[in-house]
Amino acid sequence: MGLDIIVGIKYVPNTTNVNIDPKTGTLVREGVPSVVNPHDLVAVELALRLRDRYGGSVTAISMAPPHAVAGLEHVLGMGVDRAILVSDRVFAGADTLATSYVLAKTIEKIGRYDLIVMGQETIDSSTGHIGAQVASWLDLPYVYYAIDVEYTGDGFIVTRELEDRVERYRLAKPALISAKMYSLEPRQVTLRDKLRAVIERPIETWSNKDLGLDPNCVGLRGSPTIVSKVEFTPKVPRKNIIFEGDLREAVRKLVQALVEEGVI
Amino acid sequence: MGDRFDVIVIGAGPAGSSAAYNLAKKGFRVALIERGRKPGSKNMFGGRVYAKPLEEAFDGLGKAPIHRWVVKERLSIVNKEEYVTVEYTGRGRKSFTTYLTDLTDWMAGRAVDAGATLITEVVVDRLLMRDGRVAGIVSGDDELEADVVVDAEGVNRLVLERSGLVERLTLRHVALGVKEVIKVDKGDIEKFFGLGEDEGLAWVFMGSVSDGLPGGGFFYTNRDSLSLGLVIYLEGAVQGMRRHIYDMVEELRIGPLFSRYVENGRIMEYSAHMIPADPRAIRPPRLVWDGLIVTGDAAGLLINMGYTYRGVDTAAYSGMLAAKAIEEADGDYSASRLKRYEEMLRNSYVGRDLEKFRGVHDLYMNPRLFNEYPALLTGLLRRLYEFDYEGYKFSKAFSEARRGLVSLPRIFLDLLEVYRKL
Repeated sequence: MGLDIIVGIKYVPNTTNVNIDPKTGTLVREGVPSVVNPHDLVAVELALRLRDRYGGSVTAISMAPPHAVAGLEHVLGMGVDRAILVSDRVFAGADTLATSYVLAKTIEKIGRYDLIVMGQETIDSSTGHIGAQVASWLDLPYVYYAIDVEYTGDGFIVTRELEDRVERYRLAKPALISAKMYSLEPRQVTLRDKLRAVIERPIETWSNKDLGLDPNCVGLRGSPTIVSKVEFTPKVPRKNIIFEGDLREAVRKLVQALVEEGVI
Repeated sequence: MGDRFDVIVIGAGPAGSSAAYNLAKKGFRVALIERGRKPGSKNMFGGRVYAKPLEEAFDGLGKAPIHRWVVKERLSIVNKEEYVTVEYTGRGRKSFTTYLTDLTDWMAGRAVDAGATLITEVVVDRLLMRDGRVAGIVSGDDELEADVVVDAEGVNRLVLERSGLVERLTLRHVALGVKEVIKVDKGDIEKFFGLGEDEGLAWVFMGSVSDGLPGGGFFYTNRDSLSLGLVIYLEGAVQGMRRHIYDMVEELRIGPLFSRYVENGRIMEYSAHMIPADPRAIRPPRLVWDGLIVTGDAAGLLINMGYTYRGVDTAAYSGMLAAKAIEEADGDYSASRLKRYEEMLRNSYVGRDLEKFRGVHDLYMNPRLFNEYPALLTGLLRRLYEFDYEGYKFSKAFSEARRGLVSLPRIFLDLLEVYRKL
C-alpha cells in the first residue's frame, strides 16, 4: 500500500540577508540568493519519511518563475521522486488566493495522490494561507501544525502539536496537512539523488496551456488582495547605559532605571 | 550508480572548472562536484585576476563578469596615521577586478556548456580507493567511480587529508583573510581615484595595519563597490594577536586611509577565508598519484609576490594543464604517466614564478618589515616635508628617524635580503 504524496514548495529570497527599500516598501532582491523556503523543507522531510516508511512516491510542485528549477533540483537531491514547475506569465503577481487556485488545479491534474504536505508558512510573506486554501479548493480535510502522520490504509492519523497540548486527528484520504515549522530536521542532499536530478532531470514544466485556467482567476487579475501600505516598526533608540560596580548596587540601579522607564 | 564518468573533478572553483571545461571540450565525460549551492558560493579572493592565463584556460574571456581593468597600482607603507604611498599608473589591462563568485559561476558555466555535468550541494568526503589507486569518490553512503579524479578542493584540502595523502594543515600553512565589500556610487569611485569608466585601482598596504604582525591589507575598486581586507599570517599571530581581526578591518575602514572613500558606502558583504601562506609548506609531497591529480590552492599554487598576489589565474592554469595531462595519458592514469602534469606545471609560468618568489614568505616573517621600517620611512618623510621654518638635511633626518629603531648594518642586511628575494 504505497503512499503517493504531493509536496508544495516555494523558492524564496533568503530573507536573512534581504534589505527592504524604505521608499517603495518592497524587498530588495538584487543579488540575494534564493533558497527553498526552510519551512517547506520540513514538509519535504516529512513526506520523504512517510514514503520511506510506507513506500510510494513524492512529487514536488511549485508555482514560480523558471529560476525556481534550482529549488526543485534541491528537493530532488534530498530524494523527492519527481517535480513539476508550474510557470506562466499569466500566473505572475498572484496573491494567496490565485496561487492556491493554480496549485489546486495542478494537483487535480496530477490526479492520483493520497496526501498533500505543505510547509507551515513561508519566510518571505508568512501568511500560512496556502495549505488551508488548497484544501478548500479541493474539498479535503486539513490539519496544520502536523508533526507526524500514520497511514491506516484508508486514511491517516495525524498528530499535531500546539503550545499546550498534542492532538490526534483521524482523516480520510486524500488529505492535506501542513508540517509544523522546525519539527523535523530536513535531510542533506545526497550524491545519488542529486546525480539523478541532474542527469535524468525528472522535472516537468507546466504552463497555463497544460492547465487551461481562466486568466481572470489567476495571477494579478485573479488576486483580490491589495497591499496598500507597508509601515516599518520604528527603531527604538538604545540608551547604552552600563551599570558597573558592586553587583547588588548595579542590579538595584538597573531595576530602578527600568521602573523609571515604565518597563516594569 | 549506473552513470559512469571518465573524470570526477572535486570542486567547481577556478581550478576545477578549468579542468572540467578543458576535458569536456575534448569529449571526456566529466562530473564536476561542488559542495556550495552554486559554483563560487564558497570561495573568496582579494579582488583582482590576471587575465591572460584565464583567457588561455577558457579560450577567451567572452562574457566573463569583468568589473574594471586595473590601470593604477598603489603600495602604501603605513605607520598609524602616517603612510607613504607609491602609485603607478600605466597602460594596464593586464588584470581586472570582479566578484569571484560571479567569475567562478561563469567558469563553471563554460564547463557545463562544454558538456560537463555539474553537481552542486554535494560534499565529497574522501577518495574511493581500490587496489591502491584512486577509483572515484565517496560522499556519505554513495560512491561514484571514474577513471581519474582531479582534486580542486581548495586550500582546506580535507579530501586529501582524510585520504592520508597530505599532512593536516597547521598554522604554518595558512593565513587568514577577511574582506568587506562596500557599496559605493560608481561615479564616486571614478572621481575618488581618477579612473575611467572601466578602469580600476589595486592597492596593497602593509605596516601597522596588521598590528605589526606578518600580513598586510588590500583594497580594490569593483564596478560599484570597494573591496577592503586584511591578511594575517597565522603562525605569528597566535601569540602576537591582541584583538579580533574584524576589529582590525573595522579600524582600517574608519581610519585615515579609507574613511573618506567609504563614508557614504554600505557594507554589502563580509567574508573570511583561509589563504595558503607558505607555498613550500602547503604543497603536497606530490601532485599526482595513481588515478589522481591535485590542482589549484589544494596544490599550494597561490603566489605571493610581495606587492601583489595571484591565485585564481594559477589555479585555472593548473586545471588546464591537468586536463592536458589526462588527455595525453591516453587511458593510462598511473602516477608515472600523470607525472607529465607535474612536469608541465613546473615548466609553466606557475612553476617558474612559484620558484622565483618562494622566498617572499620568509621576508614576511621579518617583523621589522611591519614595525620598524614603516616607522623609519614615515619618520624620515615627516622630517623632510613637515617644518615651520627650518628644514632637515636628508642625512640628519634619516639618522634621527632611525634612532632607536634599527641599526645601519641591520638595514643593509635586510635590504640585501629583500633585493635577493624579490
